[in-house]
Amino acid sequence: MNNRYVVSLFEDEHDLLAAVRTARERKLKIVDVHSPYAVHGLDAALGVRPSWMSWACAVFAVLGVSSMLFFQYWVGAVDWPVNVGGKPWNSLPAYIPITFEALVFGGGIGMVLTFFVACRLYPGRPAHVPDPRVTDDRFAMVLEEADAGFDLDDVRRLFSGLGAVEVREHVSEEAP
Amino acid sequence: MMIPALEFDSHSAPSFATRLCAIAGAICLVAGAVLSPASVWPYLLLLSYALVGLGVGALSFIALQYIVGSGWAAAFRRVPEAMIAVLPLGFVGLWVVFLAHPSLYPWQGAAHDAAPGLAWFKQAWLSWPFFLVRAAVYMALWAAFGYAMLRHSRKQDETGDVSHTKSNIHLSAGFLAVFGITSFLASVDWIMSLEPHWYSTMFGWYNFAGQFESALAVIILLVVWLERRGPLRGVINEAHLHDLGKLLFAFSTFWMYLWFSQYLLIWYSNIPEETVYFTARLRGWWMPFSMASLLLNWVVPFVVLMTIPVKRNASALTKVAVAVLVGRWFDLYLMIFPSQSPDGPVFGIWEAGMTIGAIAAVILVVRSALGAANIIPKGDPYIRESLHHH
Repeated sequence: MNNRYVVSLFEDEHDLLAAVRTARERKLKIVDVHSPYAVHGLDAALGVRPSWMSWACAVFAVLGVSSMLFFQYWVGAVDWPVNVGGKPWNSLPAYIPITFEALVFGGGIGMVLTFFVACRLYPGRPAHVPDPRVTDDRFAMVLEEADAGFDLDDVRRLFSGLGAVEVREHVSEEAP
Repeated sequence: MMIPALEFDSHSAPSFATRLCAIAGAICLVAGAVLSPASVWPYLLLLSYALVGLGVGALSFIALQYIVGSGWAAAFRRVPEAMIAVLPLGFVGLWVVFLAHPSLYPWQGAAHDAAPGLAWFKQAWLSWPFFLVRAAVYMALWAAFGYAMLRHSRKQDETGDVSHTKSNIHLSAGFLAVFGITSFLASVDWIMSLEPHWYSTMFGWYNFAGQFESALAVIILLVVWLERRGPLRGVINEAHLHDLGKLLFAFSTFWMYLWFSQYLLIWYSNIPEETVYFTARLRGWWMPFSMASLLLNWVVPFVVLMTIPVKRNASALTKVAVAVLVGRWFDLYLMIFPSQSPDGPVFGIWEAGMTIGAIAAVILVVRSALGAANIIPKGDPYIRESLHHH
């Protein structure tokens, strides 16, 4: 099933911020905002909640730590005990550096995979951008025509007045 | 936007009680030096070294901001600048120790046996006149850089000239290069040589981490205090605290990283002349001291400051800063005292009085330094950026 979207393109990040604030005041449904770089204050203007990605990172880091600690214990004290300088077979201080690396590795790789899953990204997935220039010098705000009271002409007038260089409708199954 | 022209009101300030505490501390020092010299002299070394650490830590903070071209900290730069004023206090304390009680250093006065091969170098390095000359050189260099940077910063208030910032960037680069070497050598000279047979190549960096961490904690306390009391109200916002909290979080982890790097290598290689340092510190009553140091310097800041809202919360941040400063005391106590009283910590009335006196003296000195200039460096080119920090 196709949905109707409205893409507004801006040339200046301040116009974009003003448009995002206005859209939220008018209770318009913002699907996404595209920008060539991180715009300061955009998260607050959009009202984006803090990401849950850091919790995913923590879970994977704990997973990395516990599995690496167990592996070293199993190798060093159970399966193949070797006397190193008279140290006990199960020597925690010697495990710390490798465990730390497993923490960083587990957290890092786990977070990248979580990000791919959360964004439904995979190698070879076609890129969805509302306009190629959002990777260069344009900013785009994508609205969804969510209810019957959505008046395209009104929205077009509103955002043109706020500095949009182009406002166009986009009909597709997935948001641009 | 108007830059608030705030002045720190120094007239209403130092209370009678603060002055009384400082005087009581001085009396405790004199009385203790007569009645219990074995613990009071090393304790004076501890306090003086802690004060010097606060001063140079604050100076490194300022130099760091200049050299990376960051603007966010400009609004409260007068706080670390005021902390430079505790340097002379620490210097005086150190010289009192060196001149009045040189026998604190076991290698002083007598020819000491050192590891063969490097013996000639150690003999030359640990000779009393050379030691004193080196101490004078370190102190002169730090004071000169601190004074020059302070002068440029204050002069900029009148002229608003960008050239002062440029001069301070050059001075900062010079200071960080000089400080990187001298701070290492100073910690080796003043603290590590208390046990001349033991050595660790990590010791200097480990000391710097503690100095910087404790200076950050004091900066946080002073910034929050000035914000609540008035002069910095409306100037400091949550974003400033957030960044200070991030730095405290990072440098407490850095401190732990260096602590563990020093510990792991000594534990692993298991060479008796190196392990003696840690066996002395993990025995009897020293064990809880070591645990307290690790807990307060790293575990508490790491766990508490993990999330964003805590770093932006002034009262939580100040509690962590106080914990870090108590941890710093444990850290220094563990560096100095196991060589003086191996059987366990000795902490008496004189030491308690001296601690209170030192805190009072820091408050008095920092207060008068804050009153000596505008509370906000209004001529700084970064000041608007800093006031709008978000």
